[in-house]
Formats: sequence, structure tokens, C-alpha cells
Amino acid sequence: MSEIHVSLRLAWHVVVRNWIVYRKDFLANISPTLADPALMMTALGMGLSPFIGQIDGHSYAQYLAPGMVATTALFTAFFECSYGFYVRMTFESVFKAMLTTPIGVREVVIGEFLWVFIRAALMAAGVGLALAVMGLLPNIWSIFMFPFIGGLLAVPCGAIGLLAAAHVRNINQFQTVYSFLIAPIYFLSGVFFPLTDRPILGVLVHFSPFYHGVRLLQMAAWGRGSLGETVLHLTALFLFTVVLGIWALRKIRQKLTI
Amino acid sequence: MSVLSSELKSSTRPVEAAAIHARGVTKRFGEFVAIDKLDLDVRRGECVGLLGPNGAGKSTFIGCLYGVVERSGGELNVFGYDPALEPRRIKERLGVVPQENALDEELTVLENMRLYARFEGLSKTAALPRIEELLTHMSLDHKRDAAIRSLSGGMKRRLAFVRALLSDPELLILDEPTTGLDPTVRHLLWEKVLSYRQAGKTTLVTTHYMHEAELLCDRIVILNRGIVVGTGAPRELIAREAPGYVGIFSPDREQILRAHMQPHWDLFHQGRQCCIRAPRIEDLMSLQQASGIQALQIRPCNLEDVYLKLTGRELDDNE
Repeated sequence: MSEIHVSLRLAWHVVVRNWIVYRKDFLANISPTLADPALMMTALGMGLSPFIGQIDGHSYAQYLAPGMVATTALFTAFFECSYGFYVRMTFESVFKAMLTTPIGVREVVIGEFLWVFIRAALMAAGVGLALAVMGLLPNIWSIFMFPFIGGLLAVPCGAIGLLAAAHVRNINQFQTVYSFLIAPIYFLSGVFFPLTDRPILGVLVHFSPFYHGVRLLQMAAWGRGSLGETVLHLTALFLFTVVLGIWALRKIRQKLTI
Repeated sequence: MSVLSSELKSSTRPVEAAAIHARGVTKRFGEFVAIDKLDLDVRRGECVGLLGPNGAGKSTFIGCLYGVVERSGGELNVFGYDPALEPRRIKERLGVVPQENALDEELTVLENMRLYARFEGLSKTAALPRIEELLTHMSLDHKRDAAIRSLSGGMKRRLAFVRALLSDPELLILDEPTTGLDPTVRHLLWEKVLSYRQAGKTTLVTTHYMHEAELLCDRIVILNRGIVVGTGAPRELIAREAPGYVGIFSPDREQILRAHMQPHWDLFHQGRQCCIRAPRIEDLMSLQQASGIQALQIRPCNLEDVYLKLTGRELDDNE
């Protein structure tokens, strides 16, 4: 068996471990990632739509819809890889035992990425389905693209979570990472308002993976977008995945080995 | 890495490589030297005990063996593989009972063990009978569906042993295996280690219990501040480093005792008591007569005397 094959099989064991633990508390685990976008849709989408009028020919609720898919991917990945990983590493000492088996640090990190990809893909499918039922997807076929884009978006966001987990000195410091990094990314990346007339912000958002995921989901949901822009955002997501992924692996290796 | 190159590597591995071969292994954390040019050989089938004060470098060395601690220098091979280069090949042959149990608290006993059987590459059909066998062996079979959090400390420790033995490892590493356990569990675990040893497997154990080391180990290695300060079979170490008998006296009689003892005898303190070591039991008898002071206790020297002598009887500043 080739090295890559063995490594992926071992990484898959990490996914299985996370799944077995996750399903123990399924309702508690799934609630925030589904309840938050639902509340957001109700409060902002339905609440504000009548006052806002149309954006690019869509109601505000329709404008907001794809962003909710992106949001669930971002939060699933970030919280799982920051708080979740930190708890596994520090309080549960999961890796102290796991690393005595053939599983290595690389497999642990790849396993976490596979895990958030799958989780975010499933959540994106769930949110997408709900949006479709509410009639908020002009392009109904986009629900088949959501899981894939959601998964792709989740991996670099997970890498940011792992980097945070490697850097914080105690669990409270995640709050700072959330307030000054994740929340701004979430609120300012075109989910809630278009960035077309905002030159500075419009450029800045390109430097986070979230914006590229948001744009891909919006293009899918609204059924409009160019091949060029699609390729641009996919390439950007890919580059963020590679760069942040390798960086996260290095940092987590420093944490788990001495 | 291609199949071919990994096969080539394994074919260059000496068939009868020592279980552990360490030469000049060093680990530095900045200025601090945790392990200083450590030499250690563990033959296959041998049980070696690593003794030493907290912070002596025992766990650091163990970490080096399977690659979670990157050594700063020296040559290290486990079954002929360098843990810095091919940790997985070593980990496939290894069972570890770490200092912390690190069991998944949320899961049941069976879920935990099935997960680790999976990590170790056991097929589902092979895993279940193996798990049942080991659980029965450790008297945990009635707990198979209990959540880990509901187990007592002794049960968790036994389960950590089950986990380490799942893949039938060639080398078993026990990092303070019986710390904090009651005597019953301790005896059960000793018996398991001894039967594992009898099966020709290799064991490396760290402990603070001298009795445990004497009972389990063919050979003892005593570390102090990252340096090997003594090595040998338990009896041999005692005969070499602290032969004879120890008389324990009350501390206020030290001056009188000093006046009557031979210069080559050893006077030291353990706790608040004054201890005198002499080569023969008769020496202590005549000391009692000559000084008119009765010893509180006279006992043969043991591994603890060797340990205390070699590691220094004072506590380190960092303790």
C-alpha cells in the first residue's frame, strides 16, 4: 500500500472517532449551526425584507440566503477546529494516546480537515434544503452544489481554527479570536450587504477564504455568475486551503510533539 | 513514498535488531538539558526499569522512542528503525500505557477499545474477540457497556493496559503504570506484566516504586538530571552500590553513633531518622553494644537505598 493510501486510511480513523463522539450528543452539537442561520433568516430576512427593497433583482431574504450556507460552514469548521480541537488536545488528552498508535500528527490534522469538510457539507445540504422549502433559492439546482462548496469553504476556515487552537494560552482567548477575526469576516464579507460600491472593503475581503466561498454560493443560489469568477474563487479557496493547511499542520505539530 | 523504496528500507533493517538501541541521545529545551548523552540498550525479551526523580528525563526519553519528542542529538533505533524518520513502523510494534490514561470519557469501554483496535489496524472480525479476551483478562468484561467516566481509577488504568495490548505489541512501554492504585489492582497489573514478559515480549517501565522495579525488571537504569547514574540487575545494583545492612536510629543520637562507627560505613538521613549502613549485620550489632543505643530497625539494603544514594538524597531546587 502506498504511503498516501495508508496516511488517508489512518486520517479516516480520526474522522470515525470524531463522529462516534459527536453523535453521542447529536442534538446539542447540531443545534447552534442550524439554529443560528434559521434565526438570522427570520430576523433579518423576513423582518427586514419589506423595508429594504430589491438588491440586484432579489428580495433581501433571497440575498441573504446563500450567505447562511456559508455561515454554517464557517462556524461549523471554526468552532470544531478551535474550541473542539483545543478541548480534545488539552482537557481530554485524546492525542496523548492516539499518537502512540500508527496515527501521526499529519493524520490527526488531515483527519480534522476531512471531518469538517464532511460536517460542513452535511450542514450546507441541510440549510440549503430549508432555504429551498422557503422558496428563497432562485436557482433551485444550487442545493446540489451547496455541500461541495460548503465543504471546500470549511477546510481553510478549519485551518484558521487549528491555528487559533495552537496559539491560545487558555480557552478564553478564543473569544478574542472570534471578536476580532471571525466576527468581522462573518459580518463584512458580503453576506449581509453587497460590496460592489465599497472599494476598500471590496479588496480587503479577498484576503479571507470566507468571501470566496460566499461568492461561489451566491453565484450558485442566484443562478448567475461567470466561469471566470468561478475559477478565480475556486482557485483562491484552493490556495487558502494549501497555505493555511500546511501552516496549521506545522503549528499543531509543534503543539503535539516537543 | 513508493512501495519499492519502503521494502528496500525494511530489507536493510537488521533482522535481530535490539528492541531499543540508544547512543548519546540528547534532548535540550533551550538551555535546559532534559536528557544528556544517554546510552541504553534493551534486548528483545528484556524488561528494563527506568528509575529517577520527577524531571529526570524518563518520560522525555519514552517520548523520543515513538517520535512525539524530537531528540536534539544522538543515535536512536527501536527495532532497527529511527523514530525521527519512521515513527509509524515503530508505533505498529508498540503498546504504550501513558502516564495519563487519556481514554475518551464520553465513550463506553467497548466503543473505546473498538476505536483503538481500528487505529491499530485490526479488522472488525479480529478486534472483537481480542477485546473480549483482554477485558476478561483484566476483569473488566462486566463493564463493557459502562461509560468511561463511571469507572474507578483502577478500572481506567486496567483499561489503558487493555488498549496498549490490543495489537499484541512486541514492545510494551509503561509510564508509571501503578501510580495511585490500590494494592489489589497493583498486584493484578504486575501479574499481567510478568506473564507478558514470559511470552518473550520486551518491556520498558518507569516507576517510583522500588519494589515494583525489583519485582518486574531484569535490569534497572537509574537516571538523574538526564544522566544515567547506575545500571544493572536489581540484586547486582544493591550488591555494588549499597551492600550490607542499614540500622535506623533516632536522630538525637547521631554524635554518639558517629564516634563508634567505622569510617568506611555510611551515615545518612532518611526523613528525620539517622541511618547507618554497614557491610554486615554483625557490624550493626556491635555498634549497638558499643554505643549503648538500640536501633529502631535493622534491615537489609534495598533498591531504595541505591536509588537515594545515586540520585542524591537532597531534593532538587525545581522540585
